Amino acid sequence: MIEVAGLKKRFKLTKDHKIDKQQSIDPRQEADYFHSVRDVSFHCDKGEVLGLLGPNGAGKTTTLRMLSTALLPDQGMIQVNGVDVVKDPLLARKKIGFLSGSTGLYGRLTAKENIEYFGKLHGMNKKVLKIRAEELYEMLDMNSFVHKRAEHLSTGMKQKTNIARAVIHSPEVVVLDEPTTGLDIMATQTVIKFIQDLKSQGTPVIFSTHHLDEIDLLCERVSVINEGISCFNGTLAQFRETGNSQILNEAFLNILQEKSNV
Amino acid sequence: MFEVFKKEIKELLRDKKTLLFVVALPVLIFPILFALMGYLMSQATIEAEQKIHVYAITGSEYAPEFSEKIMFHKNFQLSDTKYKTVDEMKDAVKSGDLDVGILIHNNARTTLSEGIQSDWTVVFNDSSALNFIYKRVNDALNSFSEILQAEKFEQLGVTKEQSIALLNPIKLEKIDTADKRENLGEKLGAIIPYLLIPLVLAGASYPAIDLGAGEKERGTLETLLLTPVTRTELVLGKFFTVLVSSLATACITVVSMGFWASVAGRFFDAQIITEVMGAIGVVDLSLILLMLVPLAGIFSSLVLAISIYARTFKEAQNYMGPLSMVAFMPLLVAMMPNMELTMNTAMIPITNVALAIKELIKGTVDYSMVGMIFAATLVLAGVLMSFCVHWFKKESVLFR
Repeated sequence: MIEVAGLKKRFKLTKDHKIDKQQSIDPRQEADYFHSVRDVSFHCDKGEVLGLLGPNGAGKTTTLRMLSTALLPDQGMIQVNGVDVVKDPLLARKKIGFLSGSTGLYGRLTAKENIEYFGKLHGMNKKVLKIRAEELYEMLDMNSFVHKRAEHLSTGMKQKTNIARAVIHSPEVVVLDEPTTGLDIMATQTVIKFIQDLKSQGTPVIFSTHHLDEIDLLCERVSVINEGISCFNGTLAQFRETGNSQILNEAFLNILQEKSNV
Repeated sequence: MFEVFKKEIKELLRDKKTLLFVVALPVLIFPILFALMGYLMSQATIEAEQKIHVYAITGSEYAPEFSEKIMFHKNFQLSDTKYKTVDEMKDAVKSGDLDVGILIHNNARTTLSEGIQSDWTVVFNDSSALNFIYKRVNDALNSFSEILQAEKFEQLGVTKEQSIALLNPIKLEKIDTADKRENLGEKLGAIIPYLLIPLVLAGASYPAIDLGAGEKERGTLETLLLTPVTRTELVLGKFFTVLVSSLATACITVVSMGFWASVAGRFFDAQIITEVMGAIGVVDLSLILLMLVPLAGIFSSLVLAISIYARTFKEAQNYMGPLSMVAFMPLLVAMMPNMELTMNTAMIPITNVALAIKELIKGTVDYSMVGMIFAATLVLAGVLMSFCVHWFKKESVLFR
């Protein structure tokens, strides 16, 4: 399970940012710092899928980056299956699989080499790596193109390779940052099927998205972040109830509206 | 760390663009360019040597021996038109009808007997770098002057030996303690680091851009950071890749220069070069390469740090330009004539390595100084490398 509580992160503003400071009305800007994430908490249990929602620039990516150990939080607690991510990032990384929509591959390496490289970096030995890789090729139907260079692959093939790369080390939890953004319907379907598979295996998944139909399809729980603060945490049913609408888009807008009115 | 290194090298070897810069440039393109340059230069020299100058002479009756000599000179051809004044000759030279005009105003024999100089004027265009006109006219004039001098001395009853002593009272014999290697090393030794050091930099910067900014642009950096490999190991893996590429460029260049020099040696009479090359020897040659190792370390750290900072390929390339300017300045200092390796110049990074290489080629090196420079450069490389490692851990650099 994943537990996140009271997460905070601020970034120092550079000169470029300061120039357009006057025009900015974002309440998170303060003196030399931009408080990107101010107070974010959520949790996700075994076998659950948590959907992270929020407008652009709300702090979703920053939150997920802290969760995946790329960024160090200024304050707050993150635990993955009992491991303190902030204190022991190296151990936590072995337990987390991360994939974002903007993730790329090494173009001059084949799909297989890309996947194996990350397997080796995760300290897997040759035998285990080979078995695990073949299992993934089979599962994601990749055998026809694993020996092609990544630069010659189609978007869908690339996304499959990326998925395989993210879970090569059999992570205990999976974090996805807008995994379907910019993908066509076929590739999106691959991602959705992948999340469903993880769910059936009991692996907790956290993913951020702007597509509410995906939330409806996959998630047990929903967390909404607005201007760096968690403003909703609960099940899908509670989300509809709090948002006062059966239509998720409306419910989402109502929740945001309500918060800004308070 | 080794996995990172192995993968980076594999990827690098599959990149045609980098291979072009690291291998093809020093092995093929440079020698071809140099050969072409040499060919054009020699062609220009031969052409200038063989050129026939159209000349006009006024007052030839005042100096018959001189005009005869010019007339029978294979490079001079008498113009059909006659010119009276300097201005007429000037116009003719400008319009291209004439290459050189000679005006003899008075009889040299008469003026000499009167104890004064005879006035002559020579009109030609002296703008070309390779010009033999003045030298050829002057040669003919000197031999005529010698005839006049000999006649005069004979009149005065001076013997031949006496006349030589009179004209040149002191005979100076020059004994040069610098051997061939030192002489040539002074010239060649300035050029070789000038070729090698920028190549070390270029060999580092092409892969470095790919390894730092390239990872950011392709979106692979973030996933790399999420592997249970410490950032120190990641950056060191990258650093050694850049270092190897940089040194490989230098080694390939040295080997290819040696190869082409030996090829050239068979076709042309380049005995001095072969001799000097032979005199440098294995020890000095390996010392030259050894000096390049910490220097490559400095460059690798710098370009990698820049590349990690940059968001995109383009941004990284923009930073590389000024960096190569910075690297060239100390090289220019080392290129200045009479620049020697002293305690002061040994303190300037890059300059000291360039000067040490020059001294090694000249064979006049103080080995303890080389050791000191090596150590100092190594320390600087170490400092920059640890800076690079520190740099790679900063969130404000990685996630700009």
